[in-house]
Formats: sequence, C-alpha cells, structure tokens
Amino acid sequence: MDRRFIPAGVSRCSTAKFLLWLAPWAALLAFGLYSAGLCLVKGLNQTHMNNRFAFGLWIFLDLTVIALGAGAFFTGFLLYILKRKELRAVINSAVVIGLMCYGGAMAVLGVDVGQPLRAWFTFWYPNVHSMLTEVTFCISCYLTVLLIEYVPIVLKNRKLRQIPHFLVFQHELHKLVYVFAGVGTFLSFFHQGSLGGLYGVLRGRPFAFREELGIWPTTFFLFILSAAAVGPSFILLTTWLVQKISGKRLVRPQVLQSLGRISGLLLAAYVLLKTLDTLVWLNRTTPRSGFLPAQYYAWKPFGVWILAVEMALFLVPMVILLTPKLRARAGWLVSSAAMACCGVAVNRFVLTIQTLALPTLSFDRFLQYLPSWQETGTFLAVLAAAVLVYSISFRYFELFPEERELRREPSGRPETAPAMAGK
Amino acid sequence: MLPWNYGFHWTLGTAIFMGAFYTVLVVVVTTLISATLRSRRALRSGAAEDMLWRSDLFDLPARDRACRHELTGEVGQRECTNGFDCRTCDTHQTFLDRRPPAEPGDKSYEGFGMTFPLDRMYHRGHTWVRRERDGSVTIGLDDFGRRLLGRPDSLQMPRKGQRLRLHGPAWLVRKRNLDLRVVSPVAGVVLDTDGPDGEWYLKVRPEQPDLRHLLEGFEVQPWVAREMERLHAALLAAGAPPDLVDGRTDVSLLATSCPPACWEAACSTMFLRP
Amino acid sequence: MISERKPAKICRYGMAVDIDKCTGCGACMIACAVENNVPPGNPDATDLTGITWLRVFKVDNGEEYPRKESVYFPMMCQQCGVETPCYLVCPQQAVDVDPATGIVFQMPERCLGCRYCMAACPYHSRYFNWWDPKWPAGMEKTLNPDVAPRMRGVVEKCNYCHGRWHAARQRAAEAGETEISPGDYVPACVEACPAGAIQFGDLNDPTSAPAIAAKDPESFRLLVKLGTDPKVYYHSKREWARRIGDPSQAPSPKEPSRG
Repeated sequence: MDRRFIPAGVSRCSTAKFLLWLAPWAALLAFGLYSAGLCLVKGLNQTHMNNRFAFGLWIFLDLTVIALGAGAFFTGFLLYILKRKELRAVINSAVVIGLMCYGGAMAVLGVDVGQPLRAWFTFWYPNVHSMLTEVTFCISCYLTVLLIEYVPIVLKNRKLRQIPHFLVFQHELHKLVYVFAGVGTFLSFFHQGSLGGLYGVLRGRPFAFREELGIWPTTFFLFILSAAAVGPSFILLTTWLVQKISGKRLVRPQVLQSLGRISGLLLAAYVLLKTLDTLVWLNRTTPRSGFLPAQYYAWKPFGVWILAVEMALFLVPMVILLTPKLRARAGWLVSSAAMACCGVAVNRFVLTIQTLALPTLSFDRFLQYLPSWQETGTFLAVLAAAVLVYSISFRYFELFPEERELRREPSGRPETAPAMAGK
Repeated sequence: MLPWNYGFHWTLGTAIFMGAFYTVLVVVVTTLISATLRSRRALRSGAAEDMLWRSDLFDLPARDRACRHELTGEVGQRECTNGFDCRTCDTHQTFLDRRPPAEPGDKSYEGFGMTFPLDRMYHRGHTWVRRERDGSVTIGLDDFGRRLLGRPDSLQMPRKGQRLRLHGPAWLVRKRNLDLRVVSPVAGVVLDTDGPDGEWYLKVRPEQPDLRHLLEGFEVQPWVAREMERLHAALLAAGAPPDLVDGRTDVSLLATSCPPACWEAACSTMFLRP
Repeated sequence: MISERKPAKICRYGMAVDIDKCTGCGACMIACAVENNVPPGNPDATDLTGITWLRVFKVDNGEEYPRKESVYFPMMCQQCGVETPCYLVCPQQAVDVDPATGIVFQMPERCLGCRYCMAACPYHSRYFNWWDPKWPAGMEKTLNPDVAPRMRGVVEKCNYCHGRWHAARQRAAEAGETEISPGDYVPACVEACPAGAIQFGDLNDPTSAPAIAAKDPESFRLLVKLGTDPKVYYHSKREWARRIGDPSQAPSPKEPSRG
C-alpha cells in the first residue's frame, strides 16, 4: 500500500505488520504523554523529587541520553571533517538517533522545570557564569542543527524527491552539510562539557566538585571525552539491534568494527584521565573542602563498589575494543559497546543521584529516592517516541545507504569477478 | 541577551558568550539562506531534472554505476560520478588521450543470444542512437531492452516537435503493472515517431552534435556482459528463485519465467529508473 | 545581575545563634511562616517537600545514655558572602546579591523552577513550591500585605525579612534620616524567639551581636572550608557542638535527625 514511499532496492515488511509493530509503542507514548500531562497540570508533586532530591530520574536520563546521542555529532565530525568515508554507512541513522535523544531530553526538561512557559527567560537574562545557561543555549542551537540535518534525509524520500523544490533544496543543503557538521561539533563540545561542568562547579557538593582547568572543572573535559567515546558505541549497538529486529544486513561488519575501534581508543584516553582526576579528587580536593573521602562511601547502598563498577564498565570494553581479534567477533563487539553505554549511565547516575543523596551537613542523613510512576511514564514516552520516529524513518527514508549493496551479496562476501565474459 | 536589556553589563564573559552564540546563529541562518537562494537559482535554470537523474542513479548500487573505462578494463574500479555524462567529465578526456576512441563499424556484436549492431552507439539505459546523414539521429530500443520488456501493453510516445532533455523521459512503456520511462540518450527536438513494430522509435534533431557519452565499438561487448550480471543480481535481489536465474542467459526466457514482481523490480534497475 | 544602586552605607547583615539557649520551641519557624506568607503544607506534603525557610533541627552528640546530649539547631539561609553558590548557578539570574545589605535574595517572578540552586546549596536552605499555595478559608486574613506570595513551581528561601528592611528604610526616610537605626530592622524569627537565641545585626558594625560572635572563639560557622563565607555564626560552650560545622569531625549520627 505504501510501497511507493519505500526506498528503491530494499524490501520492507507489509504495511499491516509495520502498523502492528508501531501499535504498542504508540500506546506507550500515549501513556507517557498522560504522565507528563499530569506533571504539567497538577505540578511536580506528582514526582517523588523533594527539596533534597531536587534532581531525579529525569535529569539522570537527560544526561545519559545526551551522552549516548553524542554519536550524532561525533560521527558527523569524523565523516565530514576528518573524512572517514566508511562512516557514511551510518551517518543518517546517527542523525535520527541524535535528533530523538536531544529532542527527548528537551521535552523532558520542559516537564522537569516548575514553570516551563518561562523557558525563554534563560535566553533573555542569561547568566554567563552559570553552566546551565551554557547548556540551554548550546542544546537549543544543536537541536536546531540536528533538525536541519534531518531535513535532507526526509526530502530524499522516493516520492518527496519528485517535487523539484524539495529535491533541489535537499541537494543544496547537503552540499553545505560540512558547515552544519562543524557547527554541531563546536556546540556539542561545549554542551557535553557544560553538562559535566554542571556538577563540577558545585562547591557545595564536594562529592561532585572538581579542580578547575582554566575556567572549567575537570568534569567538563571528562564528560566530553566520555560522550565522544560512548557515542560510536551507541551507534554500533543500535545498528546491530536494528539489523537483528529487521532481519536485514544494513552495514558491512568493518563499519561496526571501525566504530568499535574509535570507541576503544577514546575510552583508553578517558580511563587514563578519569583515574588521574579521581586520585586528585580523593586526595586533594575533598580534604580541602573539609570532607573525608571515606565519608562518600560509608553509606549503604553506595559503597566503594559503585566506583569499581563504574571503572570496570569502562576498562573492560576498552580492552575488548582495542583487541582486533575480539573486535572482529560480533558477540564481543556488541557486548562491549553495551557495557560502555552502561558505564556512561553509571557515571551520570553517580554525579546526579549519588551527589544529592550524600549529606553535606554533619547532622544530615543519607537520602533515598525512587521515581514515581509518572516520572517513569514520562521517560518511557521519550523511548516510545524515539522508536516510533526511528521506525518510520527506517521504513521510508534511506538510513543505511549500504543496505542496497549488501542485498546483492547473498553470501556476505564482496562480488567476485564475472564468471562469464560473453559467449 | 541584548545590550539594551535592563541590568546588562559588558564583561569579558558576556562578550565571549554572546559573541559565540550570535556567531553560531549567524552561521546557521546564513547557510540556510544560502541553500535556499542556490535552490531557487537551480530551479530557475532547470537543473532540477538533472539533479533528479543523478539522485536516482545514486540509488543504484555502486557496481551498477561503473565507469565505462572500468568496463573496458582500462581502470580497476571506478564509479561514475557524473551521471553518465562523459562529455563534461575530465577523466573521460584523459582516457581518450591515452587510446584512440572507439569507432562504429559494419559488424555486429553477437553475445548471449542477442545482436548489437556496431553501426550505432548505445546508451546505458538500453537505447541505441544512430547518426543520420542529415545531422539528425535515430533512436531505438536495443535487443537487450526489447527482450527484457517483451511486447509493451501500451506506449506513450512524445509528440512531434517536443523537446527531449538528456536523461529525461524519452517515451513511456506500460507492461503488466510496470510503468517505465525509458531514458532519453540525447537532448533535442522530436522529428518523427514510430514504435516497437518498426525498427526505430524516434527521430530526433539533437541540440548538439557531441555524442561522446554514448558507448560504441569495442566498448559494447564488456558492457553487455556487465548488463547480464546486473540482470542476474537484480533478479536475485528482487527475490527470484536462484534455480530460475542462475546460469540462464536467455533474456526473453528470464523475463517470462521469473515472477512478475521480480521482473518489475529488475526492469526498473536495468533501465536506470529505480 | 548586580543591583544598579550605589549604596551609601555598606551593611553586611548576619546572625548570631546561641544554640545553648535554643529550646527548640519553634516559635521562630511559625513567625517566619506568618511574616513571609508561607502557605500551610499540602496534605500530601512530607518533611522533605514542605516549605520551612527557617527550620530547627535536633542534633545529638552521638553518645548513649547517660552521656547523650542534644542541641537544637535553627537553620536558615546562611547568606553566603563569597562565591555564593546559588547566585552563580542560576541560569536566569533570578538570584541577586544586594551590595547594600549583603542579603542574597531570590526573585520568584524570574525563577524558572529548574532547581539548580537547590542542588548547589550545601545548607539546603532553598525550598521548592511543589504545590499551588492554598490558604484555608478565613486564613487569608493572616496574610502579610507587604510580602508577595509565590506560585507553584518556583524556589523560595529566607531573605532576612527583606520587606521589613524596606519598611525600616521607609520609616527612616519619613523621619528625615539617611540610614536606618540598628534596632529598627529585625527579622521575624529574631523578634519571636523567647530565649533570645537568635540575634541579628550588621557584621560591619563592631558593636552588633553577630560581629561580636564572629570574634568569639566559641563561635563556629557551617562548612567553612567550602569557602562560601556564611554570615550566620553559631555559638556553643560545648566542644562537641562546635564540631557540628565541620563534617569531617562531626559525630556520626546514630539516629536520624529530626527536623
């Protein structure tokens, strides 16, 4: 029924089956929108956040999802600026993922603040000393850039392309894509960093507070590095997942391995710098703030094990991804990518939730927090929206340019020289 | 945000921050405006058709876009990046400097049960072009295309005096469920039309005499061999059962024995209209 | 945003709290709520979602009977003088440090409700309006006309009853004075305390109670090493109580502290 909108040379399932796939995600989105609506209409008392846990599930998820969505800018940087041609196979998918990650984060932020209609205040009265101002500006600009990068993907649709205005505009826009890639890289550098800076500047929270390099705390640079390291891993993971769910071969294995290798290299740099930073933080920064490092891990359930888990979730994938023999095996490659993504989630968790749980005043107690169903629902709305948009993009737009070529290679090996040469 | 806001103070931090923000904004907006203006210019100059042709070509796998010099073995692996318009391609001229151009001859090339007279030139969309003495050209469908399509159910030919664009639609063929636009090998004005019953389809006065983008002479044989491969690959990719496809080189038989949906998909690819 | 006024006299208002005198009666908390139009708690509010600009904690020395001792610890905004965390982090500049008084005050009209300031404050003296404020019928007569109530979704905190400072300046201007006399401006909690445990004054005035407390070796401030320069000086004759301000030396709480 919608055959004419499906790209040429690829096969997609029947319309009925597609709608069947979309249905539960649409239902989840509806539930999530209802949860978010409750929070907007009735107020943030619908959540389990309180005066001590000013940030909860949403902020943790925002940070994680933005770190994972870093694959969009980083792949763009590698492809258009550093000319790593093999990544052309995944750039469109990366842009869609980035769009959904950042769009979802912005949507959740709109629900998270007490007065969403005042969001423009940050633009009108910006505080240039505040990391959150930098985050707001950069993420708004970057979301715009991602939308602009998504437009050519949409307009290249088989049917839409027939309209000359769309065709020509998309063509011209694509010729200038390196400008957007450059702007995206610049903006991403700053917002990934300022998200780290959000917690690194909090001198009132010694667990998060870090030394400054220039005007920025070390978490600024560590966040950029971890996001750049995990972005390719997340692209790898999602590509593999989409291949599994759709049952099609979408990219050559070398592309995934290349992504894994880039991830591994950056993870190595990150682990080194983070170890250094952790040592300085525990031995110098913390005692200077009047706290003892042991106090951080004296409270159950967050003992030293959480630091060990965080480091392990970066170290193990780093080792695997830097070993070519292991990297060549899909099982090792994908599981190490997943581990790296979990590592980044734990890192963001530690800096948001654990920071707020630990007491600062001597007579305070350790606090606990569990999200309410409305909070969880709102997050699930983001997930559902992402899956819906990605599914629709996968069906009607060309997210994986190599798919067509790979259909012609049933054995998985590149085509050999022709056996017949005319009779 | 703006210098005249109440409470705004010029500090180094403000200058850097606002400077960066406004620079980014200006860059993004300028790029968008530039793209819009260029699009308008391209639309007005009629470049949209050419863009559509190249965009459609790009939808084909890289092997289908092999440069003619790869076919003849002059170069290892090369993709055409110019929409098969060798007249404007620098690399084509470089190759021509190295070896004499192919010439039309009196003989025919016979291969795979088909005949390709060598007194004419061939376009990769399976049309042939023959120069006439009065400067006009005759255009027809080559043996491969004829056998692949079979007898069309209906045709839509251009009118006399209608202008054809290079790589635009020449005529429309309808067969079973397939609506196919055959790619025009030249740009020009239609002088006369015939059809599948006759030897040719169109007589055209070309806009320019330069027909270097068409294949001729010794280029035809490797091209036909590659087209056979392409046909097999296209049929298999469209889901035709391998035992029907593999090893068979009779194009008419392939066209009739494969399931209609596979045949339709393969036709689109073979005629460069995915 | 630093206020544009050029102040004639620079005050640094602070407090001196004698925790040996505090009986934990809570009159200060009530007075604060009444003065500043803090709404009564929503029925679903917990001790972590209610609004108490001033809050009295009970702190123990960590020992068991018979050596167990307690103090009552009133906590309000410490009005950090240096590197004020909430002021630095607010993305909309909804926090202003008044150079004339040193008071850190919140502008709820500009607050977006992002709660970044609440994460930044080490003293937890900022409170969020999780509900719409509601006063039961008849109680609106108790509202203070000089203080604007806040709406749902914004942050609020102690501002040393800034409305009273404005009223004192008004009175001084009407009397033809250029400065307010020290006793004329007193926050509600100071006025209400029956034991006189909370004292208020200008730290730049060497005769004021906070200035004297600042020099007293038996005084301490909270979390001094963070570098925030709080303006509330706590005083106790008991050595264990003086260690409350230093988290690395504080007695480990064996029972959760109640607020």
